[in-house]
Amino acid sequence: MSEEIKETGKEDASGNETRRNFLKDMGTAALAGAAALMTDSDDAEAKSTWAEWFQKNWRLMTDEEKKDAIARLETRYSEEYGKKVTVDGSPAMKSVLFGYALNIQKCIGCRRCVYACVKENNQSRHDTEIQWIRVIRMEKQNFLPDDMNKGYPPSAKEPFGIQVGGNAHKPAGVTLEGQHYYQPELVPEKDAFYFPIQCMQCEKPPCVKVCPVRTTYRDPDGIVVIDYNWCIGCRMCMAACPYWARRFNWGDPNLPKEEMNPNTHYLGNRPRMRGVVEKCTFCIQRSRKGRYTACVEVCPVGARKFGNLFDPNSEVRQILERKKVFRLKAELNTYPKFFYFID
Amino acid sequence: MKRGRFSKIVFIILLLGGAISAGIVYSQQGEQIPAPPEPAKEEKPAEEAKAQTPQIVTDCFESRLPQEDGKSYTKVTRVENTVQQYGWPNVKCSQTTGGVLWWGDPFDGTAPMGDMPVLANDDYSKGDYAKEEAVVKPRQSQLMYFNLDPNKNCALCHDGKIVPFPKDKKPRKLAAHQDVVADSMQLMHGRAAFWCLDCHNHTSRKTNALIDHWGNEISFNQPQKLCGKCHGEVYIDWRLGIHGKRIGSWVSGGKKRWWVCTECHNPHTVQVNRFQPIKPETAPVLPKGMKNANHEQSQHDDGHDTTPKGAAGH
Amino acid sequence: MQTKIQFVRDFFCYALKGDSRYYTWLGILGILVIPWAYGSYEQLITNGLIVAGFTDQISWAMYEGNFIFLVGVAAAAVTVVFPYYVYSSPQDRRGTVKSLKNVVLIGEMLAITAVTMVMLFIIYHMGRPDRLWHIIPGIGIFNFPNSMLTWDVLVLNIYLVLNIACGFYNMYKRYTGEPMNENFYKTLVYIAIPWALSIHTVTAFLINTMPPRPMWFHSMMPIKFISTAFAGGSAIIIVALLVYRKYTKLEIPDKAINFISQITVWCLGIALFLIMSEIVTELYPSTEHSFQIKYSLFGMFGLSKLVPWMWASLIILIVSFILLMIPSVRKNYTVLPVICVILFIGIWIEKGMALVIPGMVPSPIGEFSEYTPTWIEIFITAGNWAIGLIMFTILSKGAVGVMIGEVRHPSAVGKAVEHH
Repeated sequence: MSEEIKETGKEDASGNETRRNFLKDMGTAALAGAAALMTDSDDAEAKSTWAEWFQKNWRLMTDEEKKDAIARLETRYSEEYGKKVTVDGSPAMKSVLFGYALNIQKCIGCRRCVYACVKENNQSRHDTEIQWIRVIRMEKQNFLPDDMNKGYPPSAKEPFGIQVGGNAHKPAGVTLEGQHYYQPELVPEKDAFYFPIQCMQCEKPPCVKVCPVRTTYRDPDGIVVIDYNWCIGCRMCMAACPYWARRFNWGDPNLPKEEMNPNTHYLGNRPRMRGVVEKCTFCIQRSRKGRYTACVEVCPVGARKFGNLFDPNSEVRQILERKKVFRLKAELNTYPKFFYFID
Repeated sequence: MKRGRFSKIVFIILLLGGAISAGIVYSQQGEQIPAPPEPAKEEKPAEEAKAQTPQIVTDCFESRLPQEDGKSYTKVTRVENTVQQYGWPNVKCSQTTGGVLWWGDPFDGTAPMGDMPVLANDDYSKGDYAKEEAVVKPRQSQLMYFNLDPNKNCALCHDGKIVPFPKDKKPRKLAAHQDVVADSMQLMHGRAAFWCLDCHNHTSRKTNALIDHWGNEISFNQPQKLCGKCHGEVYIDWRLGIHGKRIGSWVSGGKKRWWVCTECHNPHTVQVNRFQPIKPETAPVLPKGMKNANHEQSQHDDGHDTTPKGAAGH
Repeated sequence: MQTKIQFVRDFFCYALKGDSRYYTWLGILGILVIPWAYGSYEQLITNGLIVAGFTDQISWAMYEGNFIFLVGVAAAAVTVVFPYYVYSSPQDRRGTVKSLKNVVLIGEMLAITAVTMVMLFIIYHMGRPDRLWHIIPGIGIFNFPNSMLTWDVLVLNIYLVLNIACGFYNMYKRYTGEPMNENFYKTLVYIAIPWALSIHTVTAFLINTMPPRPMWFHSMMPIKFISTAFAGGSAIIIVALLVYRKYTKLEIPDKAINFISQITVWCLGIALFLIMSEIVTELYPSTEHSFQIKYSLFGMFGLSKLVPWMWASLIILIVSFILLMIPSVRKNYTVLPVICVILFIGIWIEKGMALVIPGMVPSPIGEFSEYTPTWIEIFITAGNWAIGLIMFTILSKGAVGVMIGEVRHPSAVGKAVEHH
């Protein structure tokens, strides 16, 4: 692997001193309270729960606080899921800006990316089921001579419709008006194409702007992340996202022990709790270690491409150079780093 | 006196309230809209468990669909603890379709690609390809006919005789191999403009290798050298990583497993289907409060049946 | 200090005392709190928001709708009485505006209640109310000025403080019989009035700054919010005034009620005009962006759960507008409160069900789905309303006591001080 992989050593040390002290004091007070309150339960467990509750936003933690937070989580997750769980806290890589490209012409709508993502990222499996990728089926054509005389205004003399043609409202080429719950025997179907949508990792993400507590933010490598421990669950981001990329843990997530992926990242696929928002992070636990995302790897037709937008030899940059690309809802000026392309 | 009236009023109000709420409950039941959350919660996992426990798929295909005879093109078997660091299996299989959903170890069972030709075009050869770490999954071991002993096995079908080498590359009716090519006079590749022996070596049966224009042998593990002869543009895209599939490291020059042409496309039927149709994974669960997705069917079609009519390639 | 404690005690002692009708009213509201407590336990403690009817597609619904509506009520409560301050000058020859004197305090009590209810609904809307401290500047992160929600938090809290200060300062001075510091009080009032507009404007900005929700994404939203809020808020004030006039010694001249009902008509007229403009603007070109309003008005692809609500609210708004235009109806104090209550409900639908939910249908990537509130959600909503009504009943009864002189410091009895 190249030098890019080297982690940025610099931490955001701007967390202000007084706040830290205050929290520390609060934390000690809480610990004392917890010890008194939870005499029945395991002391260490209560301690970690309270410490978790009082911890700061990840972005503002010092290296030491990050280490503590990670250690707490690793212990708790390892116990809960009965296997050795690692929680990575690695920061963004130097001079990397992640980009994604999807060949809309190739996608066959098999939804394997959806489930690869679920397996990798520890989403809730049921009640409520959470999937970060949604594949939409859109019809290619159904222009019919039979519909010719269904025009508007209806008239015996000119039934084809001098104002609205009888073949209006045909979906060919109409994006985002399709079927989300298609289930044919086999894909691809002759009369359809498919349009996968997930977090676009916007350079100007509206979700980050609306978050009242800055729990979701852009990391230097362009990934929009969430500190699940800081999220208050107000769902402003879900309303503001033009790509419907965010999901909410309405109840306690249901993640079977044996299904749990133990290789996690603090900002990525570590198990979430009830009442917080989650979303695609370009598999931050993989991508920051140089590995392709799970959806890229699983795509059976190689429609998905991922890489560093700063590297002219990367697959995404080559695509931008050689192919016709578009960004979804470009008119909203969110500048997604997720490009759709055609050969 | 006053108190009596008060309690009477309260009683009447309670009665009214009860009646109204009962009415609402009744009407809601009639509509059967809000499913009570508790029973649904209990049923779901049980259902899933029922669907999953009887047969856990551990043999799954990697990219292309299993062939008609049920044999996977490149098949993997799930082995636990392949990545010891995390206790990962090498792969996780889809229980619905039998495809690999997730690679724990992307390089499981791979071998180095060998010498990759550096692109001739200056524009795209800037990257130091010599340093690229490309691996492929050797396919020769998974080929059906390739591994047969010509003297023992082949003879079984070919009337106990060893078939002589053909004199030329002219198309002729084949007595065997209908499983690969249904009609040897109508190849489903190149619209019958060429024939089997334009790609397969007609003199060396020992290796049954692919051949280039000069008769040099090409390994089954690197069919791109053969395909690239005609599909030059696609080949360049594939070489750059724009076309085709790679898993492993996204870093330029990093270690990647490259999927070769034949892992995604079946060269013998590619004219019919660019990709062999496969079974899709299950649709997401409908949002709470929705019973079916019929509304999606009625979008855009004014009564026309848009239910999938059967699959076909692009 | 002693006097202050005594004031609080006297205020609540008076407010909690009443006849059997009063207790029946509180009792009914109290009954609604029982299912509320059950629902709160289920949602906040045991299961989380999964017990509500929300989905990832429709992630804002009942609670958010009530929140928006109540911000309007809070804004209206103060603003409808602002002519009293602005126009109580020699020009007001007929004394119409002067007659609003006693309405001011009721308005402020309503504002305090409504803001409290807003916060209650926000708590229930949140996934992690236990982490509310994350938003407190200093110990948490307050993403100001970027997040519109932080603006809303700011204006709502300041508004609450302003109203508590205004209302209780006024009452306290009446209680002790001391003259008010006019400069202090007037300053507070003059800040509070535009502030009332700001809370609803900011709440409108909260949702109309989201391009993925085309139904919300238009610049008319703030003025539409304010006009519907004033219509609804003034309607509920009329009802409260009529109730207090009938059952207490509080003197409220007809002039005051007529004045407020005129405000209702005007605002309702403007609101209807804006609603009409919105519908025409959306439906005439009939683009993809008009799907949300189409869905709510006519239903789409066989999904039409909102249609009856939408039309009920439109019909209520139009009919009550026509009725309230007729002076004889407006001045008939048996019919007027009935219309007002129905109008209030109509606007509640218009700003809750018919505004928030269709903004979510279809989702930004075109998925249609429907929302059904669960019983727990209904329990909680009803309970929040009951709590709000109990609070308003108690606060305004106390305020009436102060106004009619029944809550008064012993030393102040007999003193006749003219207050605003």
